Amino acid sequence: MCCPGCQAVAAMIAGSGLDNFYRQRTAYSERPAASETPVREQYLIYDQPELTDAFCQTQEDGSVSARLLLGGITCAACTWLIEQSLASVPGVTEAAVNLQQSRLDIRFDPLVLPLSEIFTRVDALGYRPRPFQASARREQMRAEYRADLRRLGVAGFGMMQVGMFAVALHAGDIQGIQEQYQGLLRSFSLLVSGFIVYYSAGTFFRTAWRHLKQGALVMDLPVALAIGLAWLASAYATVSGSGQVYFDSVVMFTFFLLLGRFLEARVRQRHANNWFDAESALPDAVSLRRDGRWITVPRSQADQGEVMLVQAGQTIPADARVLSGNSAVREDTFNGEHLPRTVSIGDTIYAGTVNVEAALEAEILGSYAQSRLAALQRSVEVAETEKPRLAKMADRIASWFVAGVLLVTSATAIAWWHIAPEQTLWVALSVLVISCPCALALATPAALASAASALRATGVIVRGENALESLSRTTHLIFDKTGTLTEGKLAISRVELLGELTEARALQLAAGLQHWSNHPVSKAFSHIQPGEVFQDVNYKVGAGLQGKLDGRQYRVGSESFCREFCPALPPPPDEQRYWIALCDAQSPLAWIGLDDTLRAEAKAVVRSALTGGLELGLLTGDSSPQGKLLARELGIDDVRTGMEPQQKMQRVQSLQATGAVVCMVGDGLNDAPVLSLADSSFAVAGATDLARTQADFVIVDDVLTRVTDTWQKARDCRRIILQNFAWALGYNLSAIPLAATGHVPPWAAAIGMSLSSLLVVANSLRLNRSPAKEKGL
Amino acid sequence: MDSLYLLIPVALLLVALGIKLLLWAIDNGQYEDLDKEAWRILSDDKSPERSDSEAESKTDD
Repeated sequence: MCCPGCQAVAAMIAGSGLDNFYRQRTAYSERPAASETPVREQYLIYDQPELTDAFCQTQEDGSVSARLLLGGITCAACTWLIEQSLASVPGVTEAAVNLQQSRLDIRFDPLVLPLSEIFTRVDALGYRPRPFQASARREQMRAEYRADLRRLGVAGFGMMQVGMFAVALHAGDIQGIQEQYQGLLRSFSLLVSGFIVYYSAGTFFRTAWRHLKQGALVMDLPVALAIGLAWLASAYATVSGSGQVYFDSVVMFTFFLLLGRFLEARVRQRHANNWFDAESALPDAVSLRRDGRWITVPRSQADQGEVMLVQAGQTIPADARVLSGNSAVREDTFNGEHLPRTVSIGDTIYAGTVNVEAALEAEILGSYAQSRLAALQRSVEVAETEKPRLAKMADRIASWFVAGVLLVTSATAIAWWHIAPEQTLWVALSVLVISCPCALALATPAALASAASALRATGVIVRGENALESLSRTTHLIFDKTGTLTEGKLAISRVELLGELTEARALQLAAGLQHWSNHPVSKAFSHIQPGEVFQDVNYKVGAGLQGKLDGRQYRVGSESFCREFCPALPPPPDEQRYWIALCDAQSPLAWIGLDDTLRAEAKAVVRSALTGGLELGLLTGDSSPQGKLLARELGIDDVRTGMEPQQKMQRVQSLQATGAVVCMVGDGLNDAPVLSLADSSFAVAGATDLARTQADFVIVDDVLTRVTDTWQKARDCRRIILQNFAWALGYNLSAIPLAATGHVPPWAAAIGMSLSSLLVVANSLRLNRSPAKEKGL
Repeated sequence: MDSLYLLIPVALLLVALGIKLLLWAIDNGQYEDLDKEAWRILSDDKSPERSDSEAESKTDD
């Protein structure tokens, strides 16, 4: 068990006889982050009807159907777990999870079971429930998915039908067939394939035409040409009763291509469903003072100028000015740093940051759209549009291919015009059909789908379109520091003893006091067993703690706080660490130095990136000398510290201007703009919530070596794609001369095309073969 | 062999019917989640239908 959350989940699973989950799941669930507010309370807000209108509907029989968006669903076993455990709750009549959309449709009796209870139960299972908001983008995605499926299904039916006619026709070619039956079979093939070309292949024509108008040659152009010309030629042959028909090839080609693209899109879209949404980080409920009482209202109803209460541990729901209270806020959302900023009356606090120490009353400064968090969201959107677009490999090859095929076809036509004019049309057409780019067009989607599903098994989610191709061409790998190369939390790195205490004893005393604090510093002590229990512990926000043990007063905390108590305290040993002092009234006892520890695997990642020939860089918002030290330790030369988000983006852009392909590795919200600007990006997110992560690749299991593993996989993928292209082009090159000399009957063309496509698919599947990496739970 | 003139149109009608059914199923949302259905058969001890009816009977109590 990795954490109390897992343990609770395991207990619940075993308790309700759902231990099957562990036998059936194919991927590990994400680890639930320790929640800082009581789970149930935060969902009570959903019992208010005005807030739930958007995602709940009351049925005729009084039951309510609700749609929830679930964070953290990883595989089909998750859906099974959620469905099974909810269905056994009294009051629930129906629970169905849609994995593709991470959506839970639940029907329940509101008299038996309040909605907040459903939220709480889902949360207890380790998933993050949120109201499902139907957005235009989500609707559009669903419509596209259905349209793809329709085209694919219709093409499949058509392929079978036309294939049946084709068997008869091919047999007739070999054994002889009466002309009237040949005509009959061809006419029906014409009819069915005409419908398929119109209904299913129409999308290729539209895409090719759209790009052609802008002067771009894409893979869909040779595809559309092959389909269109082969069908027209076959139609002409049918009507004129001469020549050869290729209806079966046309339809089969359409079906396989649609299938390849459908599968590729499906692997990618599963996680693209959760796009970047900074607002989802904010709590839905706000505690406001109205008419002298504290009441809880939905966040959307809180107006500028109202006074809100933010409890310790809560995420601040809106930009506000502190009216009363002292506390510290952790602003890693904006600066990535783990040490909180102390705030008191008159200071501004920002939506999306976390109030760490004590309750604050604050006056709301404006709506979400005016907040600093919304500005972050907008800068991500701007960066997205500025991201350089690398042309897809397939499209670059396509332009050469189209030119080549057209050239060869015209050369053939001219040659035959001189040899045997009556054969010219048919030979030229058979060249076109033989050079049908089926394998060529399948080469990329098959390899990408295969690589993406292999990566998913190792704990990396691929979200960005074209991301694997960009990653394979990376020249510069840029890291963020806090939370990426480092663990993102403080740990005790040095103890400087000042009295006669042993180190263990000093740490035990400090831990005994820190136990009473919820400042992030105290987490560094949580692994130490406190000894005796302190009495009369006083906590001073932003300073430290004081407590009594065996009649002696001790203090632990900041330099000024301890010096006030014990003037003999010497200054801290150095400036590289974050130091806290321990003293009693008479004498200083120890300086305890805290440091953000380097990830254990960081060195291995840097080493393998360097041997792979990548240029490495470190961009950090932290201005302390620690960044430089850490970079030297790792062997990274290009270090820039104290960078504002804007400067980070400029740095990436200036690298891109010199022709570099930049891959950026960051850790979430504060890096979001620079991540979306880089050619490819990783988020080391521990991804409890994909919606708050903006990156092409999300490392779910929090292991940094996935960066280089994925890079390796991307390069393998590129190699496989190139192999596929080489095979497809090689096949075409060797078949075209045969066709140009008039030696290829249509059945041979059909078989050759299918075999060549199968080979490409089989080759792509090799990407999926790597043994699944061991995962830590 | 003249029966072909009848049988092929009949076959086409059946295909048209099949396509119609498929499109109906797609629009009805039956293909929205292609991953889950493969797993449903493995939940052998408790079928969703049964647990649903159990839940209902508990509600009635």
